[in-house]
Amino acid sequence: MAGRPIYNPASFKNVSVDGNVIGFSFEFKAQYYRSFTLSILRDIQLKVDGEDVKREDICITVNGDTFTLEECRTVVDPEYRWEFGEYATVTVKKEGGLSKGEHTIEGKQIIAPSYMPFQIEAPCNITFTI
Amino acid sequence: MSDIKRSVSLYSYQDEYYLGKLDLEGCLRETAATGATGVELLAEQMIKQFPLPIETEEFRNQWFDWMKKYNLTPSCYDAFLENHIYDNRTLTLKEQVKMMERDLRLASLLGFPVIRTLVSTPMDVIEGSLEYAEKVGVKIGLEVHAPFSLNSGWADGYMEMINRTGTKFFGFIPDMGIFCKNIPDVVRDKAIRHGAKEECIKIVDDAYANRVAKGFTKIKYDLNLGKANMEYRMANGMAEMMDAVKAAGGGPADLDYAGSSFTYSWSEPQDIIDNIDYIFHTHAKFYNVHEDLVETAVAIPEVVEAFKKAGYTGFLSSEYEGGEHLRMDLDVDSIEQVRRHQAALAKAIGE
Repeated sequence: MAGRPIYNPASFKNVSVDGNVIGFSFEFKAQYYRSFTLSILRDIQLKVDGEDVKREDICITVNGDTFTLEECRTVVDPEYRWEFGEYATVTVKKEGGLSKGEHTIEGKQIIAPSYMPFQIEAPCNITFTI
Repeated sequence: MSDIKRSVSLYSYQDEYYLGKLDLEGCLRETAATGATGVELLAEQMIKQFPLPIETEEFRNQWFDWMKKYNLTPSCYDAFLENHIYDNRTLTLKEQVKMMERDLRLASLLGFPVIRTLVSTPMDVIEGSLEYAEKVGVKIGLEVHAPFSLNSGWADGYMEMINRTGTKFFGFIPDMGIFCKNIPDVVRDKAIRHGAKEECIKIVDDAYANRVAKGFTKIKYDLNLGKANMEYRMANGMAEMMDAVKAAGGGPADLDYAGSSFTYSWSEPQDIIDNIDYIFHTHAKFYNVHEDLVETAVAIPEVVEAFKKAGYTGFLSSEYEGGEHLRMDLDVDSIEQVRRHQAALAKAIGE
């Protein structure tokens, strides 16, 4: 018995564009009980191997399209809701990507459902292998 | 013989849905298997690309085919008024009324007689939607969830609106979390798993028992929910309890347990009887029902007795909320929990 999984364990990989490794990506599920528009996803905070990732280096892909966290603020189309129980892909810019072997993510999903007097911060920590 | 009906909120099956073990139809099948005749839906939870499918005849036909196949009746549609959908402003009153009308319309398209709205919904948004609610024949029920309660300064604000407008399309949906005789055992067990001290747990449990014994100080009506909630907590002895936990050497798990104790409250079941004319749906919240059909926190027999005495004919809709205290470390079996809870309700109703 273990806690319920947040990340897709098979999803961690380096991302190449035109033969250059520009970063890495993974998939995880929102830690909430219903779907929501990306406009209420107020932040994804990541510390990879103990190092803070800059907010502008994080993108999220839902239903085939990719948004920066800043762009998410205006995304309200139903086709880009982060569905309950479904993975979204997060891409992190990092020249050369991650080395082969074990790495850790200390992550946080921060969402702001309108009815809550405060934001929900869900910790999402994992050790994974590239 | 009582006319109280049983329903299941599909919220209850969220852990199985999250893991892909149940889809929407699977949840309906499990609901029917418990003997419940009603189904409560969070459209934003289990209908993908909300609200687009509900606008299509194809989906609606599928929905009503399922209702027939599983012998279920739509009981309540849980709406979320996303009035802070943008981070730089609150939607205007007109925009919020439109959103409420959208939900009333979607609920009516799927055959729901009631929508659940949340305590954060401004009064003028409710009032501005009443005419439309009447037009589509869907009532607006305000969820009365801890720390809120019936027979309180908070509820009086809404009673004033009901009396002033004479509306038959607005009322209350009590959440049975307002009838907790003690803190759910799954919450205590989680605290212990995470390193809480026996001494601190006792301080918190004693403080809760004390609140129940002397009666909770009720929350006031205030649109600033954070402020109202903090005043409520302080009036109910939160500062003293927190100090005692800290003095006993409480760490994060102890303080977390102490803070979460304010998620639960105890109201007198008489509140149901006093307000029965304004109650047309009920969230039968629960946290952990044991094999002997005893729920650990909610006083099911006493509360159902009050509903019977009041002549309630609406649904008691199972809403399982124990999973969130397990899922970090343990497996969740919502299907079994809901089965037991429905059996406990049936027994209390006297079916």
